Amino acid sequence: MAEKTSGDTAHLYDGKTVRSSAPSRKALAGSSGIGTEIPKDAIPELQIPTFVESLLGGPLVPKMKFLPPDKMVQNLQLAVYGLLMALAFLTLIVSPGAGTIWYMIFGSIGIATAMQVVIISIATVCGFVGTFRRDGRFLLVSNLLFILAILRFASSKVALAFDPFGLADRPFLLSSLVVVYAVFLIMFIELGNGVLRYSMLDTSIRTNEVYVMNPGKIVGKYHRALVINPVVSVVLATLVLSANKILPFIVGLLNSETALRMEESVELTSVYGVALGTLFVFIVTGALFMLNLPGAVQKWREARSE
Amino acid sequence: MMWSRKSAMLGSLAVAMYLLGLTLRNSQLVTIAVVIFVVLTWAALFGGHADVASSGRRSEEFTGEEGVALGNVSAMRKMSSARLFEDGELSVTLRMQNHSGLAKILEVRDRVPEVMRIKSGSNYILMELGPRRETFIEYTVECPLRGFYSLGPVAVRIQDAFGLFHREKELHVYNDFLVFPKMEDLKETFVKSRVPKIFTGAVNIRQPGPGSEFYSLREYFEGDSFRAINWAAYARSGKLMVNERERDAVSDIILIVDSRAVAETGPVSRNALVYSTRAAASLAKYFLGRRDSVGVIVYGDEVVSVDRDTGKKQLYVILTKLAGAVAKGNTPLQVVVNRILPHINKGSPIIVLSNLEDDPTIVNALRDFRARNFDVTVLSPSSLEFEFDAKRLDRTGYEVMKTERDVLIGELRGLGVNIMDWEPDMLLSTALAGARGF
Repeated sequence: MAEKTSGDTAHLYDGKTVRSSAPSRKALAGSSGIGTEIPKDAIPELQIPTFVESLLGGPLVPKMKFLPPDKMVQNLQLAVYGLLMALAFLTLIVSPGAGTIWYMIFGSIGIATAMQVVIISIATVCGFVGTFRRDGRFLLVSNLLFILAILRFASSKVALAFDPFGLADRPFLLSSLVVVYAVFLIMFIELGNGVLRYSMLDTSIRTNEVYVMNPGKIVGKYHRALVINPVVSVVLATLVLSANKILPFIVGLLNSETALRMEESVELTSVYGVALGTLFVFIVTGALFMLNLPGAVQKWREARSE
Repeated sequence: MMWSRKSAMLGSLAVAMYLLGLTLRNSQLVTIAVVIFVVLTWAALFGGHADVASSGRRSEEFTGEEGVALGNVSAMRKMSSARLFEDGELSVTLRMQNHSGLAKILEVRDRVPEVMRIKSGSNYILMELGPRRETFIEYTVECPLRGFYSLGPVAVRIQDAFGLFHREKELHVYNDFLVFPKMEDLKETFVKSRVPKIFTGAVNIRQPGPGSEFYSLREYFEGDSFRAINWAAYARSGKLMVNERERDAVSDIILIVDSRAVAETGPVSRNALVYSTRAAASLAKYFLGRRDSVGVIVYGDEVVSVDRDTGKKQLYVILTKLAGAVAKGNTPLQVVVNRILPHINKGSPIIVLSNLEDDPTIVNALRDFRARNFDVTVLSPSSLEFEFDAKRLDRTGYEVMKTERDVLIGELRGLGVNIMDWEPDMLLSTALAGARGF
């Protein structure tokens, strides 16, 4: 005998929503709760600059999302990798453990040297990561660590951690090495920045935000500047840093005895002598700027082209 | 010459290293500082060519001297049209000239109003401009919103290769243009609707007079034209009968547009003022096309009116006025009614375009119209819907305000006002049909 079916039809509606009419807005409003707080999506997004950003007039690190790098950016990245290796090597040479803050804290040359190696290694790795990922934060950390590595106390004379090229006995070459190191550091900062800037430019071009007419010429000028500027910097910086030699030479034209005394003076051969010469040169440069020398140079170039 | 953020940071670093080097007696730090100074000096002295911008400063913040390098650069602009409708496209040709004998790498940005979209080409160009050469930059902008706009100035920037220093110049080349509100074609809708002419009183005022449409038959009086005699009716009745024709009347249509500050509630492209101006333009075109006389009143911080007139010229005048309507002030509707009542013909259809918000005089003002037997239609774009769609209003708030609005609409309907709560996705023709009950 068949089992008698129950008259209860509740099972037909279990777990189902039965509506007799379209949902009413008012009923929906009634069921929306009595909370008075403003929903999150009702508040428009405001970008308030941080203290640092307001000081700098913009974000420290660009927040732009880059498209995959084009050939130009890839070449720049390769250049940064090469430069980074050379810079790490040079930093190791010109920043011995003696005189560093680590040496002052631990009093051990071994630990100080190890700390220097660690800092330079971290700076190098950060430089690699920052360049590869095109992340300004890593590059900034790398720059700061390289500067930290060079901070040494009581190193009036240039000392080397190790001397693979036998430069210790050649003061001019030794100071030239420091100039080359400094130029490498500046070029690393510039090239790292260049990777970011050209990534921004490349992304802007590819997203049609900017149109570049004859990009080859523009990139070519940047490449030329990457070669010319370091050479000019090395020459000019060497001249400026040789002020302690140039000044006695000039004085020697008038009075050889004073020039001899100047040459032998401790003040002029020490870091203060370098600083004095530098200051003198830059006071002259500052005065030329005040007289609008760049404007005059430009005017002369424009006039010459007429 | 301006310092970029990068050069400022490098300069600060150099000064800090220089001083620290002296303090620590570290010649290496001094050397690095010197190299940085040298790089900066070299860039400042010979940075005569441009590169991509790295500076965070915007050109409008600069008010200083741009220097010699940009003195020989000039710009001219040509536009495809000075008047267009919303969603229309404007082609711009910018002509850049280098009068100098030196090639320059320039970064050029032609300032486009923020609401415009670049459809093709680019207004931001990085280029090398040869000696005594010129180049044409072409781009197209899409104009999604009505208004008076201006293109310009042209900002030109020249920068050194490393982006350390730059010079900027604003070439004050401006071109004004006008974007009219876009119009919906109402003709088709009205023809297709059950009642061909929604505003039947607007054209036929049901009075006999000279016209083309038959009105009635009447007995012949002395002086009537023989041409008007209906001979068939004479044959039937034995009396001289004449055809009377309905007077072809040009009626006055008054469009009242609310442009108070509250009318702009909602997103820039979707708010009551945008909808109202589009509706007013469409209606003006429709009625002027029917040879009616149309007048427009735009009220916000003041009451601006376009006197009633007919023809294409009137449409242009109305569109110009609507293009320039700015959401401002809070003049009540009652002030508008008091001002225009003595000047409009009795029975003229009045169409009010307002979101009906923040004005306690609305009911009284519309009651005044109705009391004088004006045919009043209110099209009310709902600011609530715009705000709710943009998620700026929570559901509870929306429901409460919606109820208040429904009550107000009900009250106005009770006065005999044809009113329609115009929701954002509704076509104007649908809203009009809804208001008139078709």
